[in-house]
Amino acid sequence: MLAYIFKRVLYMLPTLILTSILVFALIELPPGDYLETYVNELLAAGETVDPRQIEYLREEYAFDRPAWERYINWASGMLVGDFGYSFEYQLPVRDVIGDRLFFTIVVTFATIIFTWLIAFPIGIYSATHQYSWTDYGLTFFGLLGLAIPNFLLALVMMYLANEWFGTSIGGLMDPEFIGQPLSWAKFVSVLEHLWIPVIVIGTSGTAGMIRRVRANLLDELRRPYVTTARAKGMGEFRGLMKYPFRMSLNFFIADIGGILPQVISGAELVAIVLSLETTGPLLIAALQSQDMYLAGSFLMMLGFLTVIGVLISDILLAMLDPRIRLQGGISR
Amino acid sequence: MERDDGVILKVDDLHVSFDVQGGQIDAVKGVSFEVKNGSVLALVGESGSGKSVITQAILRILPTNGRIVSGKILFCDPKGDGKAIDVADMSSRDPYLYKMRGGRISMVFQEPMTALSPLHTIGNQVEEALTLHHKKTPKEAKADTEEVLKLVGFPDPGRAYEMYSFELSGGLRQRAVIAMALICNPAMVIADEPTTALDVTVQAQILGLMKELQRKFNMAILLITHDLGVVANMADEVVVIYHGEVMESGSVEDIFNNSQHPYLKALLSAIPHFEMAPGERLVSLREMGNGENTVKKLGGQFAAADTKKKIDGPHLEVKNLRKEFTIRKGSWFGSSSANTIVAVNDVSLVVKQGECLGLVGESGSGKTTVAKLIIRALEATSGEVKFNSNNGMQNVLELEKEELMEFRRTVQMIFQDPFSSLNPRMTVQNILREPLQIHKVGIGDEQRDKVVELMKLVGLDPRFLNRYPHSFSGGQRQRIGIARALALHPEMLICDEPVSALDVSVQAQILNLLNDLRGELGLTSLFISHNLAVVNYVADRIAVMCRGRIVEIANREQLFERPVHPYTKSLLASVPYPDLDKLLDFEEVMKSKAHDAKSWGGAFSESGESSLMHIEVGTDHFVLANENCDKTELSA
Repeated sequence: MLAYIFKRVLYMLPTLILTSILVFALIELPPGDYLETYVNELLAAGETVDPRQIEYLREEYAFDRPAWERYINWASGMLVGDFGYSFEYQLPVRDVIGDRLFFTIVVTFATIIFTWLIAFPIGIYSATHQYSWTDYGLTFFGLLGLAIPNFLLALVMMYLANEWFGTSIGGLMDPEFIGQPLSWAKFVSVLEHLWIPVIVIGTSGTAGMIRRVRANLLDELRRPYVTTARAKGMGEFRGLMKYPFRMSLNFFIADIGGILPQVISGAELVAIVLSLETTGPLLIAALQSQDMYLAGSFLMMLGFLTVIGVLISDILLAMLDPRIRLQGGISR
Repeated sequence: MERDDGVILKVDDLHVSFDVQGGQIDAVKGVSFEVKNGSVLALVGESGSGKSVITQAILRILPTNGRIVSGKILFCDPKGDGKAIDVADMSSRDPYLYKMRGGRISMVFQEPMTALSPLHTIGNQVEEALTLHHKKTPKEAKADTEEVLKLVGFPDPGRAYEMYSFELSGGLRQRAVIAMALICNPAMVIADEPTTALDVTVQAQILGLMKELQRKFNMAILLITHDLGVVANMADEVVVIYHGEVMESGSVEDIFNNSQHPYLKALLSAIPHFEMAPGERLVSLREMGNGENTVKKLGGQFAAADTKKKIDGPHLEVKNLRKEFTIRKGSWFGSSSANTIVAVNDVSLVVKQGECLGLVGESGSGKTTVAKLIIRALEATSGEVKFNSNNGMQNVLELEKEELMEFRRTVQMIFQDPFSSLNPRMTVQNILREPLQIHKVGIGDEQRDKVVELMKLVGLDPRFLNRYPHSFSGGQRQRIGIARALALHPEMLICDEPVSALDVSVQAQILNLLNDLRGELGLTSLFISHNLAVVNYVADRIAVMCRGRIVEIANREQLFERPVHPYTKSLLASVPYPDLDKLLDFEEVMKSKAHDAKSWGGAFSESGESSLMHIEVGTDHFVLANENCDKTELSA
């Protein structure tokens, strides 16, 4: 098993290298660079531009170097935690992202846990009560959640919260805590604000998850080993959990790899609407202004999260399912 | 019903219905029978007769849309207080039901692969049956589990305890399921087709094991089966079920020696057996569409359409055919070891024009691989396949493009599973026309006429042409498969287990149809089956395969009367006959290790430098034996 994990980790390296090349190439792709955008912006605002200053900046930021050299600089920098410099903010990327990355992770994990907590019981109930009115009802609400765009739901909830409670639910904490060091009061404030984005971002994922739990469990419920368990005299609930439910888990573990980037990218529009202090709005702004190291580092982090997610799901699958463990040639 | 009268289970006028869309299906219509303590009752019937539903009703594990409408299921536990309990009358959540299931009445299932969870170890699943009903410390439970695993014949129970179901062979899996059923020492075991999914030698061993354990623990067994051979060897009493009703019941002697009901008589004569006179026909339970005469009438026209010339010598010749599969273990880089498995090893055979060669062997013996190599669905590792078509002897393995296309037209295949071998999204019309289109035979109307002709030939109504495969029964689908194979006027048919997925009665129809077609159209055929009786019915000559090699090849009569190879002998000795005078010798069967080449004796195994070769022991009778062996040893 250890050897398998080790091999699996090694396997990540080429993936990450390829991802970084791709990200770099994609950001290079649009014509021009940050400085050109910057100059155009200044000109548009009616200000004069000193060509010497631009030249100086160009040299300073190594825009005059060939692409591969800049790539190597960037990529090797990332290995030691130096993600480059954000032109827009005039700060190292690490300082720009810092807190936002932390909050992104908080929102993402809260959303995933919310999704599971809601989807599993409902999916299991729907599957074991197939074609009952409750099944239809839950399915209806699930599909409703799937059909409503996240950002629309965010707007509606903001409106309703304002109408009913007279408060603004935007942001991740009360304004007075922004920029403050973490304290108990700040933590509570974050919790108070967190549930709105979690629900907004989580609904569509939850609806999809309910459908998949239901479908997978239904497949498993018809298998003969379920009858075996019943014929043994096993209680209904215990039998359900030990055999068909565990079998149906495979799909969802295999899904973990995909969940992270999906939730994060789905959350970005919502983050703008709700003005959340996460990375989403930052990424979009960075892409617009061709702030390349900032945008590139973001994308790399997304890629890294995906690869880690897939790694986790592969290891979990091998642990949970002896068929994968033993037939794949991984020793016990 | 008292404890003293020895009746452990009494089913009285049981009615079971299923709610389906637009009504209900009455699956069991007033069935009554009694199981005596310590005896074996066999419930016999075809699929859909309701026999499995009865067992589900007894354990109260019917699917959610099924319900017991009326009737009684009285269970009198010999270890209980002597009062009979009406299981049918209980609430489905009654705690007694949970105690009874697995504890007092347990079950052995048909498919040992799917009946066990692949995610839990054998030990875990067997032990669970124990701990659900008895309080045990983990240590005691493990000791008990290992003991019962040993009892059912696991050579190393400690290792088996840690293994997963997919790591075991079919026979061992079924032993694990039996261990699970026995661990609580139940009063009765319900065995639902316990050996149907197993090979014949393994089946004999599992039956022997069940019989032995039944005597040892004095249990009652309710045996569900469609195989009258199994019934004759296992049962004390028999109940024959048809469409949810009891047709006939009585002691096993009464049933076999003095059957009264026409259904049972018909069932008995629908099964191929070894004492059939040459040319004797199976009597199918329900003649469908047409009989022998239609095939004669239409077959004549059909055959007249192509002028086949007589071929002297072999029609198909296979020489030293070999196929290796390489299995890579381990993944990605490093530590991957290639493992070579020889699936087909030095197979040589000859089929003459119009002849039917039967290829018999158990699962994994390589018989299907041989078929696939012949039609070039797989590439052989080495060896020769020669086929005599209109332009003389061709080397099939070297054919290219048009020649290969032409060869594909002359050799067609009929598959085992009529459910997955027909595309569910194509109508029968399209399925039958497809080969004509691929080979550009005829245009538009000609093709449509041909399809109609084919439908009639296999006894199906041409009005069904616009239907999809799902609206046909298994037997009808197999007819469609046969029609598809015939569409191109092939010279040779390869039938890969064409009846093993079908019911006894349907099996007779299909076998008769194949026999008639073969006779009328003068087809050469290779008939692959694991069922010796079926091969005996259709084949002229028979080749027996074991572990990728042909161990014996002979004329039909010769092979059955004077088998020489130990493997052939044990194969023949393992077939359960529906005849009380020829019961299986369980003691002998339990000892035999037919698959183990080491047990075959010196004359049949490789030793040192001398290798195995085919030695002629009679006219056209060859046996795989050591080249240096004493020839007199072979004339057994």
